[in-house]
Amino acid sequence: MLVFIAKRLLWMVPSLFAVSFLAFVLIQLPPGDYVTTYIATLAASNEVIDQNTAAQLRERFGLEDPMLVQYFKWIWGILSRGDFGISFEWQQPVSGLIWERMALTLVLALSTLIATWGIALPIGVFSAVRKYSIGDYFFTAFTFLGLAIPSFLLALVLMYIAAVEFGQDVGGLFSSEFETAPWSIAKVLDLLSHIWLPVIILAVSSTASLIRVMRANMLDELPKPYVTTARAKGLSEFRLLVKYPLRIALNPFISTIAWLLPNLISGSVVVAIVLNLPTAAPLLLQALMAQDMYLAGAFVLLICALTLIGSLISDVLLALVDPRIRLE
Amino acid sequence: MRDEILSRGVTRRAVLGGMAGVAALSIAGRVVAAGGEAPAWAQLTRDGELPPLAERLPKKPMIVTPFEKVGTYGGTLRRGLRGSSDHNGILRMVGNQSLVRWNLEFTQVMPNLAERWEINDDASQFTFHLIEGVRWSDGHPFTADDIVFAIEDCVKNSELYSSTPAQLSVAGKAVKVEKIDDFTVKFTFAAANALYLENLATPLGQHPTLFPKHYCSQFLPKYNPNIAEEVKKADVGSWTDLFRARCGDIEIPSRWGNPDKPTLDPWIVKEPYSGGATRVVMTRNPYFWQVDTQGNQLPYIDEINFSISQDVESLMLNVISGKIDIQERHISVLSNKPTLSQNMEKGGYRLLSLVPSASQQCQIYFNMTHKDPALRKMFADKSFRQALSLAINRQELIDIVYFGQSEAYQAGPRPEHPWYHEKLARQFSEYDPDKAGAMLDQAGYKMDGSGSRLRPDGQKVFFAVDVIPTLYPDLVDALELVKAHWAQIGIEMKVNTIERALYYTRGDDNAHDAAVWPGPGGLDPMLDPRDFFAFHPQGSRYAIPWSLWYTSNGARGEEPPESQKKRMKLFDEARSTADLSKRGAIMTQIFDIAADEFETVGLCLAVGGFGIIRNNLHNVPGKQPDSWSWPNPGPALPQQFSFTS
Repeated sequence: MLVFIAKRLLWMVPSLFAVSFLAFVLIQLPPGDYVTTYIATLAASNEVIDQNTAAQLRERFGLEDPMLVQYFKWIWGILSRGDFGISFEWQQPVSGLIWERMALTLVLALSTLIATWGIALPIGVFSAVRKYSIGDYFFTAFTFLGLAIPSFLLALVLMYIAAVEFGQDVGGLFSSEFETAPWSIAKVLDLLSHIWLPVIILAVSSTASLIRVMRANMLDELPKPYVTTARAKGLSEFRLLVKYPLRIALNPFISTIAWLLPNLISGSVVVAIVLNLPTAAPLLLQALMAQDMYLAGAFVLLICALTLIGSLISDVLLALVDPRIRLE
Repeated sequence: MRDEILSRGVTRRAVLGGMAGVAALSIAGRVVAAGGEAPAWAQLTRDGELPPLAERLPKKPMIVTPFEKVGTYGGTLRRGLRGSSDHNGILRMVGNQSLVRWNLEFTQVMPNLAERWEINDDASQFTFHLIEGVRWSDGHPFTADDIVFAIEDCVKNSELYSSTPAQLSVAGKAVKVEKIDDFTVKFTFAAANALYLENLATPLGQHPTLFPKHYCSQFLPKYNPNIAEEVKKADVGSWTDLFRARCGDIEIPSRWGNPDKPTLDPWIVKEPYSGGATRVVMTRNPYFWQVDTQGNQLPYIDEINFSISQDVESLMLNVISGKIDIQERHISVLSNKPTLSQNMEKGGYRLLSLVPSASQQCQIYFNMTHKDPALRKMFADKSFRQALSLAINRQELIDIVYFGQSEAYQAGPRPEHPWYHEKLARQFSEYDPDKAGAMLDQAGYKMDGSGSRLRPDGQKVFFAVDVIPTLYPDLVDALELVKAHWAQIGIEMKVNTIERALYYTRGDDNAHDAAVWPGPGGLDPMLDPRDFFAFHPQGSRYAIPWSLWYTSNGARGEEPPESQKKRMKLFDEARSTADLSKRGAIMTQIFDIAADEFETVGLCLAVGGFGIIRNNLHNVPGKQPDSWSWPNPGPALPQQFSFTS
């Protein structure tokens, strides 16, 4: 097992290199560069930049260098001194910009994960055990509705109702007095009082499909002989369910942990923008649109690292949960 | 300063001090009785944490006449920004504290930090007399040394600015700034620069008052031998990065990212504009140097809270639910007007109308310097352009796309401007497809059997017009109609919707057939004459290589034809003519030639935008010019905006 983990960790190194290079190339693919986009953005409000300044910006950011040179300068900075470069747009070190956003993103992603699983697993099991009951139909109908409504629309509607009908503060993850405050118990409580709305919006869409997956898996397992055997041996119905078929049915959930992290970041972009959440997604989108490549590159690199770590975790968990899988 | 002055029209007076030794209105001339200050400051003063008001203000502070009435202290003004590259949204609100400023009507340059000035006969030397006793927001005196430092040590430092900003250099040479005494500075240009005062009143004219010497000098190697250590400590690449991060520049986000930097603005940064920010908070400057007519220190409003929305729709939601006090930026598109009008009562606001400073809502630029010789020949054919202009049904377009709120127009100063040029503005703007067809026939673009026009070389006439849908959705709608109009005379056009960086790259590469953009120069024809001759290397899209030739003094680009060269010379002459009526006469010559050449095709006069003002916010002019040169709402002096309690 340990050997396996070590091997996997070693493999991550070349994977990350490949991914970071691809990301860098992709970010640079659209026409123009940061300075072009910057000028275009200003022009959008009919604002003008001094013409001499534009040429000088390009020189200062090293945009005249060939792409390979730019890439190696960047990656060398990360390897040699953990320096992710300077964000063109903000004139701030990238590392200062990403960590807090990544942390909040993880909090949101994990909360959504817990909420989704918390709703989907019991309902899925229930629907399988009480197949074709009224409850099964009710939940099925309800969750399909959730699947059908795009989450950004749900966000907009909920925001409109909250803002216009109830005069509530909407958007963001904190009340205004906590936005820039240092972390404290009160700030965490404030975060909890705001995070439920985005969590519900994000959880709604993925819950439906998970319920169907869970239900189908359970239905596969329930008629199997080992269930009958266990029941014949007098095991209580609840213990029986949890101990055997549920463990097997969990397999697809665990094996998709690796996708969950990047999915929750990229899948929540629109919602995060609509709800004005201070997570990674809006900043990443902005950075991509502005061709602020060191900032965007750092995000992409981190998301890839998370994916790799996630897939390692799911492999290890699978080995622990599913007796049929052996790593040796 | 009343609404009707704006609507009465613009009369550009002999303001610009062309006559030697003319002093501008001396607002700081009379001494007012010592007035009040914000309650919070009064408390701090009593506690001894702030010097008394009299010591914080100049001896003769600038007196601002409130727009409606003397205001009351207090309140937080709420306004919206977008998450990315929206630093100018802050600049427009607080950062217009230059040596001079515009009046409300955008017709006259007024004293600001300079209480008066003298200009020599050929407009190459400007002597500014500063208000004595103005202090930076940290209490340090503001003197001529700061201005000399800002220009000589910062802007002219070739490591910091590899080329001097255009405004500060004439004939390829940078300005020279000398200190006469503590409160007098002299700017000397290599040649006449008659427009300098007007330029100085625009945002790009803020350099002289941007860098406090006592603070920013610590980031220059010349003044700080230990700069290398600071650079290392701050984890940035070089001292120039450090300088920009701490002292900013006119138009970069980091200008609003450092709460420690002293400024001369009415409000100073409290929570900075940075990459992770969800809002920006600015708080009143205890040393602000303007007072109202009763001697009360401005600003009236305690704080400005800029909330940052990633999405314009959520900004709209905030506006209609009354969570924004004044906003026009980002929401002023025509399609938002019905929503905003409907919710006026619910949101408790009134509408603010913006007077466009632009001339044209949608200017079509045919690339007369196209790389393909056949297309170049076609676009360069004047009768081809005239015919296409005649074939556009402008009234239909105005009714459908602009809700009837415009009129057919080509180019040139707006009708209310004293330099309005009838021929330039109105020729070939009537709808006459028959005449257009006849003109095309005569120019050699015959109709084939299937109803398409053919070029003399036998190819079908076809070209694409570049437009950015995310930026100007109305232009896409307008072009779709134009496409239908042109199809009727056999001309096939493609509406080429592209992303904005690509739009610019195509322009820079001279790779476009044609492009559209709103045409500037309606109220500020001298500041942006791009539609009158090839002036702007990004904007004069009918001949970018010609404008490159002009801006690089012939080193780059392509040599333009005689008529262009003549206008370029005339414009240089106008730029160095101090006398306004003479300048107008020269500009009229340019307009005459431009009208004869008919290089661009315009659709209709630029339509005014609008915004909202909450009902409890006062002293806000309900009508303001909408311009970058007049960076609304800044010149309406937000420091005298006030809430009713």
